Amino acid sequence: MTPSESSKIIRGVLCRGLSPEQAEQILKAMVPVTAETGLVVFKEGERPQGLMVLVEGTVEVFKDGSNEVLATIAAPTVLGEISLLTEGPHTASVRAKTACDFSLLTSTQFHRLLREESLAAYKVIAILAEVLARRLHRMDEKFVEVSRRGASSHVEELSAFKHKLFTEWSF
Amino acid sequence: MVSGFEDVNYYFRKAARVMDLSASVERMLVTPYREVKVDVSITLDSGDLGTFIGYRVQHDKSRGPMKGGLRYHPTVDLDEALGLASLMTWKTAVVNLPYGGAKGGIAVDPNTLSPGELERLTRKFVQQIHEIIGPQTDIPAPDVNTNAQVMAWIMDEYSKMHGFSPAVVTGKPVDLFGSRGREEATGRGVVLALEEYLKDAGKGEVRGKTFAIQGFGNVGSWAARFLHERGGVVVAVSDVKGGVRNPEGLDIPRLIAYQKQEKTVSGFPGSDPIGNEDLLLLPVDVLVPAALGGVITEANVKDIRAGLILEAANAPTTPKADETLAQRGVTVLPDIYVNAGGVTVSYFEWAQNIQQFTWEEDKVNAELHRHMRDAYATLARVVRERRVSFRTAAFVVAIGRVGRATVLRGV
Repeated sequence: MTPSESSKIIRGVLCRGLSPEQAEQILKAMVPVTAETGLVVFKEGERPQGLMVLVEGTVEVFKDGSNEVLATIAAPTVLGEISLLTEGPHTASVRAKTACDFSLLTSTQFHRLLREESLAAYKVIAILAEVLARRLHRMDEKFVEVSRRGASSHVEELSAFKHKLFTEWSF
Repeated sequence: MVSGFEDVNYYFRKAARVMDLSASVERMLVTPYREVKVDVSITLDSGDLGTFIGYRVQHDKSRGPMKGGLRYHPTVDLDEALGLASLMTWKTAVVNLPYGGAKGGIAVDPNTLSPGELERLTRKFVQQIHEIIGPQTDIPAPDVNTNAQVMAWIMDEYSKMHGFSPAVVTGKPVDLFGSRGREEATGRGVVLALEEYLKDAGKGEVRGKTFAIQGFGNVGSWAARFLHERGGVVVAVSDVKGGVRNPEGLDIPRLIAYQKQEKTVSGFPGSDPIGNEDLLLLPVDVLVPAALGGVITEANVKDIRAGLILEAANAPTTPKADETLAQRGVTVLPDIYVNAGGVTVSYFEWAQNIQQFTWEEDKVNAELHRHMRDAYATLARVVRERRVSFRTAAFVVAIGRVGRATVLRGV
């Protein structure tokens, strides 16, 4: 992938609504990172390097101590946005499922821009807020589905027990 | 003295697993209906103010008014009362009485009170809880350190506020609406339970069998007398001050007369002394713990040589010891069935009070026999069909009855 193709993808993911100059400011603060298949890009519990834009390839998200893959995510997307904003450790690990190209906006660079009151950096935050809101919405739906499934099995269990009280457990 | 909520719950949960109870149903059945904690302040004889804490826990009312003792003891608290209240729910269900379970009391050592202080304390307690007890609500009964006189005061105080209500308590004096046969009811029930088991298991009769009885209070002494009358050989008995032993069998009527005079069985002529702990380890046919809870434990269970344990006391066997006895093939007839004779005749007393009709003692005893016999037949069936212990069977039967009543009324 050529640098110009790569920066076009980054603009699409991270710089919507930014002026060309503002986008340039963000792009200049980023560094390209490549990952071979199988490489662990983020490790759960580690301090974050910064925000990763997955430009090309596919990654898997998983929790330590479990082989279960929580999510498989394909380019283009952003990763590490929670850690960037909270400055806390990564909440899950991310592994390259295929060879991947990333572009890294380091925490140091990002917070430097914020200190300089870069409008571009604040616009990036607005975009990340939208990403987070969408992901939260998906999680809400999943939660509702899971708790509904739980409740209905409890209801069945209860009515089965009520029945058994009069059949199996009546002496 | 007694096991708290957790020990009772252990046996409950064991039955719950057999029945495949869901967590939500289990929670509903364990959770008490109402817990009440009240201030009981009185003027002491010295003129000083004495403040005590009274408790009443009402566990379940799906099968009828709640029933359970009131005890005056320093260890009384909500946890203890809740454990014993739930035990009353299961006990009344096992013998199929139309009752739920309750328990309560006052945290006080009554030995430190004069008779006048005890009466004022009892009346004040009634003033504090009269709104939640009643002949159709919750009917207290005697328990540790409370007796027929205390019940008479409760009846009187409650009647002042609600009109003539003898059915508000049971265990009253026979001269004040008490029932004939109530005093000896628990001891009689213990022996009836044993006879049902012996008959069913093809193990003959009481005559010629040997017994060791720990505890010679109301329950132990009446059980001893009934066993003796039936030709049983009671080789040892004990009370808090120590025990007596005679391998040829103790003369129980004479021992009861001796204890009345001496306030202990210790030193009974023609017997050797034996400690409370050693009594449990005697090689007898039947061991009858009739005093404290938690006396058969992990520590002494391996040395117990009796072939059958008749639980006249509440919770005499700890859960771990119970498991060991089961592995060794020692049959345990459980407290919630064996000592249910007391609450059964309390039910007859309540029924007589409500009918304003008095039963002859023969009728009381015949009805008690019927309840103990029917309950045994049900338990034995569950033991055979489900291959569980008598204790688990008793809880399974009780949970089933309470569960059905709850479902039919509507959760």
